[in-house]
Amino acid sequence: MLLAKGISKGMDVDESMIDSINTCTTCGLCEQMCPAGAKPTDVFEELRRDLVRMGKVKGSQLELYNNTLLTGNPLGEKRSGTSFILEQRDVPKVADYVYFVGCLGSYRFREDALRTYDLIRDVGVTVLSDEVCCGSPLLRTGFDADDLIRHNLEQIEKTGAHTIIASCAGCYNTFKNDYPDRFNVVHITEFLAEHMDELGLGRLDLTVTYHDPCHLGRANRIFDAPRKLIMAVCDLKEMKTNRENARCCGGGGGVRKGYPDLSASIAKKRIMDVPDGVDNIVTCCPLCRVNLEQASDVPVIDLLDLLYIAQKEVLKAV
Amino acid sequence: MMLAKELEEILGKENVSTRMSELYCYSFDASGVEGLPDFVVRPATTEQVADVVKLADMSNIPVVARGAGSGLCGGAVPVEGGIVLDMCSMDRVLDIDIDNLQITVESGVVHEKLNKALEPYGFFFPPDPGSTAMCTIGGLMANNGSGMRCVKYGTTRNYVLDLEVVMADGRIVHTGSKTLKTASGYDLTDLMVGSEGTLGIITKAVLKVHPLPHSRSVILSSFDNTTLAGKAVVKVLSSGIIPSACEILDSTAIKAVRRFDPSVELPDVGAILMIEVDGMENAVREEAALVGKACEELASAIKVAESGTESENLWKARRLVGAAISKIDVKRTRIYVGEDIGVPIKELPGMLEYVRSLSEEFDIHIMTYGHIGDGNLHTGMAIDMLSEEELESAHAVADRIYRRAISVGGTVSAEHGVGRARAMYMELEHPTSLEVMRQIKRALDPKGILNPGKMGL
Ligand SMILES: Cc1cc2nc3c(=O)[nH]c(=O)nc-3n(C[C@H](O)[C@H](O)[C@H](O)COP(=O)(O)OP(=O)(O)OC[C@H]3O[C@@H](n4cnc5c(N)ncnc54)[C@H](O)[C@@H]3O)c2cc1C
Ligand code: SF4
Ligand code: SF4
Repeated sequence: MLLAKGISKGMDVDESMIDSINTCTTCGLCEQMCPAGAKPTDVFEELRRDLVRMGKVKGSQLELYNNTLLTGNPLGEKRSGTSFILEQRDVPKVADYVYFVGCLGSYRFREDALRTYDLIRDVGVTVLSDEVCCGSPLLRTGFDADDLIRHNLEQIEKTGAHTIIASCAGCYNTFKNDYPDRFNVVHITEFLAEHMDELGLGRLDLTVTYHDPCHLGRANRIFDAPRKLIMAVCDLKEMKTNRENARCCGGGGGVRKGYPDLSASIAKKRIMDVPDGVDNIVTCCPLCRVNLEQASDVPVIDLLDLLYIAQKEVLKAV
Repeated sequence: MMLAKELEEILGKENVSTRMSELYCYSFDASGVEGLPDFVVRPATTEQVADVVKLADMSNIPVVARGAGSGLCGGAVPVEGGIVLDMCSMDRVLDIDIDNLQITVESGVVHEKLNKALEPYGFFFPPDPGSTAMCTIGGLMANNGSGMRCVKYGTTRNYVLDLEVVMADGRIVHTGSKTLKTASGYDLTDLMVGSEGTLGIITKAVLKVHPLPHSRSVILSSFDNTTLAGKAVVKVLSSGIIPSACEILDSTAIKAVRRFDPSVELPDVGAILMIEVDGMENAVREEAALVGKACEELASAIKVAESGTESENLWKARRLVGAAISKIDVKRTRIYVGEDIGVPIKELPGMLEYVRSLSEEFDIHIMTYGHIGDGNLHTGMAIDMLSEEELESAHAVADRIYRRAISVGGTVSAEHGVGRARAMYMELEHPTSLEVMRQIKRALDPKGILNPGKMGL
């Protein structure tokens, strides 16, 4: 924050300042705590845009930007979008709902993405035939994401859907707050919590804890839906800091990509919040999941996985 | 850059910062004063502090001690550059000696941590600043800070028994003794407390501790305006009760508290007094009734907080009211000028009235809150930082407030210190003794390397 003041007054920007500004995960905990109502997250995002405009960017940031421009995903994977779902499932072209899979779902956790689709497809859900990154990693690191946004919007319009269902906290936050307000945006947990009775969930003999993804919880105040789903299938023991005061996993804001060591040490700190005697850490953001996994002895799973197991439990009983 | 190398030799490379991004963050504290250091170092031992000070002495370069930087007068800001000693790594509680009613700590211990360490023993360190979660004991001693409980328990000064101090030439000295009182020699402990890092660097302290009271009760009285509340304070204190806290919040401060924590229920009135009494349960009940009686004629309503949780929430919100004022209007930021005056108790109603008249004359919103039980008032102004005009008005108001406080026998700083922000009033407040202070400074720090540019020295 102080650097922002200095730079706005014309202070020369050196590498150490770029590092300092780029190591904010945009988790928003400071904003939550600040008695004066300061909004450091907004300041950092604006400052990052300024730095990009001045050409003051780091190699890792550029890599992220180039990857996304070239391949449509920040991971730099060959562009294949949602084809893995389209090939394996009978997906309608037109529907009321679009399931936005997200880059980690499309390129890292395909199994989970398929399960997610299976959970919700009965209400009439399609996916975008040429989905590209929602733009979150670029927007959070100071770049513009206009082309990506335009491309996704065109795709969404073709489906005729009125609602986007996002399963990644970052995608959800971006659709909700950075895309034009042309359709409803719901997180998968909100959607499922509303349709809980139709899911056929059994009860599991497990105690889990829940990690609130910053961009879902603090940023968009979705705290109850995931908890409702968890408590429907097993016991929940809260983390030491939770809901609006939850610590960050360390993965967001481009920090996992640009500063892996720092990101890992933030994850370690978050893991210290895990209560004793839990079988799993549950979260509902793939980025939180991968970042916490590296620091945790307790297995980290996606909420969708938990629900999937709970569904199987019922099938077993039959 | 020779000096950087030598500093690295003393402290290790990782404890010396020369990068602009770090230096710049040490060029402020919580006031508006600015000054860029040349080096920031993080010592972990008294010996390292002594070696750094010796090096500074030889190189004739300023050394400025810094705790958490929560000071409100620019005390920790290196206005003449030099080395900033960030004392936060020296954060160990060294000994808890309840039988001798004392605790030994390093100076970087955060205030809240000190009280957490004492709680299991049923004891506490009474000075209770709003910044408890961040400020260090070193900063608190150097500013002789206090807070909400000092109307009964006194200020930090009353709790310091012995200090380990690194003097300007690098000598390590002890100033006091482990006894609860001493009549032996000059009271160097008292000289160091409140010296704002200008006479020595405090590395360790032996502090007196106090048993936690059995019970506490908070009486909330509402008034139509601050002047009436001021009159009530005079009545309460002259009725023979010594409250453990006595705080005033005017209507703006009340609004700020509600914004900060909507669950805190405060009445929408011109002013409230939050008066706390503590002690044995029966005595607390009786004293609470007496406080109510003393306020009766002047107050529009009187209420006793229902539970311990309710009072704790009230105090929590009260602690952060100074910052929370910025929440009322996003375009306005709280600036710390014209705050922290202290006046004799009897002068309170007149002072409050004066502040109100200034607010009208300059057409500027002045929030008043503070530890009114000991005559300490914080007058907070939130202004549009982009408006030169508002900034000028705020400074003019501050000047009038300080001068008035001095003219009625008061002080420009009751607890936050003089630092840079109030240095220009030292001559006016201490016309005969400032020169003595300067002589002491010259005797102990002949080269003037310890926190130069502060306290009007
Ligand atoms: C929200 C808020 C509420 C506050 N409420 C109160 C309150 O109720 N009561 C109150 O009294 N103050 C209050 N303050 C002011 C501030 O917290 C105190 O002045 C505090 O004592 C400063 O401690 P620090 O560790 O932040 O010191 P710094 O700001 O870092 O330093 C303060 C001064 O102490 C010197 N110093 C620091 N450490 C040492 C050392 N080891 N040896 C020698 N000199 C040293 C510095 O050079 C400087 O002159 C408040 C501040 C804020 C931001
Ligand atoms: S990482 Fe989180 S707490 Fe830290 S500055 Fe960024 S948003 Fe604030
Ligand atoms: S918490 Fe808010 S008021 Fe306090 S230092 Fe941070 S931004 Fe400033």
